Amino acid sequence: MTIKNIMIKLENISKIYSPDIKALYKVNLHIKPGEFVSIVGQSGTGKTTLVKLLIGEEKPSQGKIVVGGWDITDIGQAEIPVLRRQIGVVFQDFKLLHRKTLFENVCFALQVCGEPPSKINSIVPQVLKIVGLENKMNRYPLEVSGGEQQRAVIARALVHRPKILLADEPTGNLDSINAEEIIEILQKINKFGTTIVLVTHNRDVVNKLRKRVITIDNGQIVGDQAVGKYIL
Amino acid sequence: MFLLSFLRVIKFSLQDLARNVWLSIITVVIIVLALLSVNILLMVKVLGSAAFNAVKEKVDVSLYLKSDAAEGQIMALKDKVSQLDSVREVAYISQQMAMDSFTAKHKDNPEILQALAELGNNPLSPSLVIKPKDIGNYDDLLVSLNKLDDQIIESRNFDDHKAMLDKINNITSKASEVGLIISAFFVLITILVVYNTVRVAIYTHKREIGIMKLVGASTWFIRAPYLISGIVYSLLGVALMIIILYPFLSFLQPYLAKFFYGFDINILAYYKHNFFMIFGLEFLAVTLVNFLASLVAVGKYSKV
Repeated sequence: MTIKNIMIKLENISKIYSPDIKALYKVNLHIKPGEFVSIVGQSGTGKTTLVKLLIGEEKPSQGKIVVGGWDITDIGQAEIPVLRRQIGVVFQDFKLLHRKTLFENVCFALQVCGEPPSKINSIVPQVLKIVGLENKMNRYPLEVSGGEQQRAVIARALVHRPKILLADEPTGNLDSINAEEIIEILQKINKFGTTIVLVTHNRDVVNKLRKRVITIDNGQIVGDQAVGKYIL
Repeated sequence: MFLLSFLRVIKFSLQDLARNVWLSIITVVIIVLALLSVNILLMVKVLGSAAFNAVKEKVDVSLYLKSDAAEGQIMALKDKVSQLDSVREVAYISQQMAMDSFTAKHKDNPEILQALAELGNNPLSPSLVIKPKDIGNYDDLLVSLNKLDDQIIESRNFDDHKAMLDKINNITSKASEVGLIISAFFVLITILVVYNTVRVAIYTHKREIGIMKLVGASTWFIRAPYLISGIVYSLLGVALMIIILYPFLSFLQPYLAKFFYGFDINILAYYKHNFFMIFGLEFLAVTLVNFLASLVAVGKYSKV
C-alpha cells in the first residue's frame, strides 16, 4: 500500500501508562482515504486512547502514527491546532458551548482559527444544512434535543473540511431514532469523500452499517473485517 | 489575519466579561479589597515614618550659657559649634527670647506668671539650640559638645536626651522591622487572594478552554482573551480603588492633621504627589499576578 493510499497508519503502537496498564499494545492499523471504519470493543479496551492518540491529546509510548502523510508520533504543542483543523472530532458528550447558539458554536471553530467573516458566513449555513439544522441554527444547545446537539457537533467538525472525521461514541447519549439519524449523516459525509472513523460499542449501529469493522480487546486488534459485524 | 484574530480576542474577552458579569464583578471587588489592604498598609507606613521623622526633627540639644556672658562671646561660641561636623543648625536663644517663649507657653497659668513677676528679674539663661546633622550620629555630637571648653557654658548635661533618642531610634528600627514583616505578609496574602480569584474565574471556563483546544484554536488564541480580561480587571480594580481612596483620604486628612498637630503630615498630598507611582505600580503588580494566574490556569485546563 503506497502512502497516497493511506489516510491513517499506526505501526506497532503501544500506549503504556504503567507496567500493569497497557491501554494499547503493538497495534498495527491502516485506514484508506474515504473509508468508513468502525472501531468496536467493550469499555476500557483502548478505543478512546486510540482517538486521543490520533488527535494528539496523548503520545504513544512506542510506535509510529501517520495521519494524512504527516508523522504525528512526536507532534509538538504548536502543531496540535494544525492537526485538529484536519481532523474533525465528535464526542459522546457533545462539548458545545451553552452560552452560544448552534450557529455561533459552529462559527466559533472557524473564528478561533482566524478565518475571515466572509468565509464563515458562507460555510456555516452550508454545513448546518448538511446536518439538517438550518431551521434551528439560532437556538441554544439546551433548547434542542440530544440528536440535534450531536448534529451541531458534526457540523462544527465539518467546517474545517477535514480529511478525517473521528466520532467517539457519537450515539452513546442518544435514543435509537436519533442514533440512526446521526449514522445516516456520517454516511452522507463519507459519500462526500471524508474518511470516517466511528468508535462505538453500539452493536445495532455496527451491524446495520455493513462496513469495515476493527475489533479491539485488551488493547490489541483481535479482528479486522472488510464487511464486518460486532462480534464481541 | 493577525489583526483579525487580535480583534476577535478582544471581542471574546469583552463578551466574556459581559456574559459572566457577576463573576467579573466579584473578581474586581476582590482586587479592590486586596488593593485596599495594600493601601491601608502604605498609609500606616507613610504616617508612621512621617511621625518618626517629625519627632526626630524636633530633637535638639540645648547648651545653656551663663547669664552674664557677652553677646560677642556667645556669637563666637555659636560659630565654633556651627563648624562641628555633626551639627546641622545652631540657633541662639537670648535671655529675653527665652523669657518671651516661657511666658507665652504659660500664659494660661497665672500662678507661674505671678511667681516669675515676684522674682523681679529674668531667671532664664541664654542658650544655643543645636540640631544634629544625622540623628544616628547623635553620640558624636554629644562627644564634640562635651569637648568644648568655654567659660560661658553653664550646663551641658545631655543624659536625658541620649536616653530619649536611644528609645526613639530603637522604636523606629523595631517598627521598621515589624512593618516590613507585616507588609510582606499582607502582600503575600494579597497575591494569593488575587491569584486564586483569577484561577477560579478561569476554572469556570475550563470546558470552554477544552473545546477551543479541540476545535483547533492555537495556544495564543486561547490564552490571549484571559490576559486581556486580566488587564481589564486590573484597570477596573485600580480605577475603583482611586475613586474610593481619594474621598476617604480627604475625609481622613483633617482628623490626621488634628491628631498630629504641630507635625507636617499630609497623607492626601503624599498620594497626590506619588499618584502615578503608587497606582501605576499597583496596576502593574495586579496585572502581573493576573497574567501569572491566567497562564497557569489556562495551561492546566488546555491540556486536551
